Amino acid sequence: MSLFSDLYNTISKFFRTQEPQGDASKSVATNRLKLVLMQDRTNLTPRILEQMRSELIDLLSRYVELDKELLDLNFEQEGDQVALMLSIPVIRAKDEEEIDAAIKQHEEMLKAALKKEEAAENQEEDSDDENTSDPEIIDAAENEESGEQPETAENNDIKADEDLEDEKAEAEKNDAIAKELNAVPKIIKKKEKKEISAPEEITNSGNNPFKSDSSDVESII
Amino acid sequence: MTGRVIVITSGKGGVGKTTTSANIGTALAKNGYKVVLIDTDLGLRNLDLLLGLENRIVYTIVDVIEERCKLKQALVKDKKNPNLQLLAAAQTRDKTAVNAEQLKEICDILKEENDFVLVDCPAGIEQGFQNAVAGASEAIVVTTPEMSAIRDADRIIGLLATKEEITSVKLLLNRVRPNLIKSNEMMSVDDVVGILEIPLVGIIPEDTGIITSTNKGEPIVNDEDALAGKAYRNVAERILGEEVPFLDLDEPKGFMAQIKKAISVISKLKVKV
Repeated sequence: MSLFSDLYNTISKFFRTQEPQGDASKSVATNRLKLVLMQDRTNLTPRILEQMRSELIDLLSRYVELDKELLDLNFEQEGDQVALMLSIPVIRAKDEEEIDAAIKQHEEMLKAALKKEEAAENQEEDSDDENTSDPEIIDAAENEESGEQPETAENNDIKADEDLEDEKAEAEKNDAIAKELNAVPKIIKKKEKKEISAPEEITNSGNNPFKSDSSDVESII
Repeated sequence: MTGRVIVITSGKGGVGKTTTSANIGTALAKNGYKVVLIDTDLGLRNLDLLLGLENRIVYTIVDVIEERCKLKQALVKDKKNPNLQLLAAAQTRDKTAVNAEQLKEICDILKEENDFVLVDCPAGIEQGFQNAVAGASEAIVVTTPEMSAIRDADRIIGLLATKEEITSVKLLLNRVRPNLIKSNEMMSVDDVVGILEIPLVGIIPEDTGIITSTNKGEPIVNDEDALAGKAYRNVAERILGEEVPFLDLDEPKGFMAQIKKAISVISKLKVKV
């Protein structure tokens, strides 16, 4: 018996001349290598990718409700071109009112952040009068800010040095705003919890997000 | 005459930079060209061993730079081929004993009297690498079909691209194992070239003969029968501008080879029975 099977094996080997195995370690290596080289070549560190991811979430969640855990951000190379692949599981689309509200909220947040920035710039000039429009947000922003004090101090130093170059100063202002924006999502989360804490609980427990959500909206309204 | 200065580099250690330097240098010298090999791996010199010249070294590159001897005194002639000379690295010093300008100066002097100056670069991307590439106008990046070596090669290729003096960067794929590639367990030549995207100057098969040649201190290009030796001789000819087809590294496929294989299988069977 074993003689026959041996014979069969050797004969089939003789005629087949080694067919390649489909999913061997080579393709794993090639794929891993491509990904790591993409990171090496673009200088996109995991930290920066994470920041990019969170900013994209903030932007997109103004318009649709996302499954933040399952959002997938990847680079893929197609020939010479590098493509940024973003896969976002949408839980549900927001209606117009919600979107408007979210955008408004974001704009207010931006304004507050800008004012905060100005206030930080003009600390000596005591221009804090206007900033009392939304105490809650500012409080939160200040809390966020306190963690980043060394950085903002640095920014101010740089600004003082380069007063003459308007463009650079502007670019730095944008940077500063971007930093503020990083702080913003946390504030939004806090607010969301305060205003619509009930719906979140229900969406977590209910298996049908569409129904439960619509009923929540009604209850809020 | 103004010779060509070629740096042989890799990023990762242990992929065969020094073996490649010794073999290409020997092959070029065998073709009648005047060649100087410079070992820039200060503190970890090995090129002398691969050439079997370790007992002949009196002065090193650091002695030249610190003016304890003349450049000509420090050049050691090869045992077999007077066309080939070695400028050894200092074993007792580290990479900070030399700077890029000094090495460039040495390369500039040597290329006036030689056809080729091959610079054997140390592993890494620090001072030693910067020194080695300083005088070069061409580079050969050595890598193996392994992830870590390819990643480091990619980094080196990126760094070489920032050097204006270096006009040509080519890839030498070392330690290729055709049977592993066939079974899809090793990246193929095409895979590696596709990822690194620089032209290929050589494919060297893994060859146990390299070990014995290192033991003897005699580069494998001197062995007419060895496949790796043949592959290195081809690299030298490509450097000289000839178009040489890459070796077919597949197992023998001819009719006689198949019969031999079958006979060996049958004889094994008989033993079993």
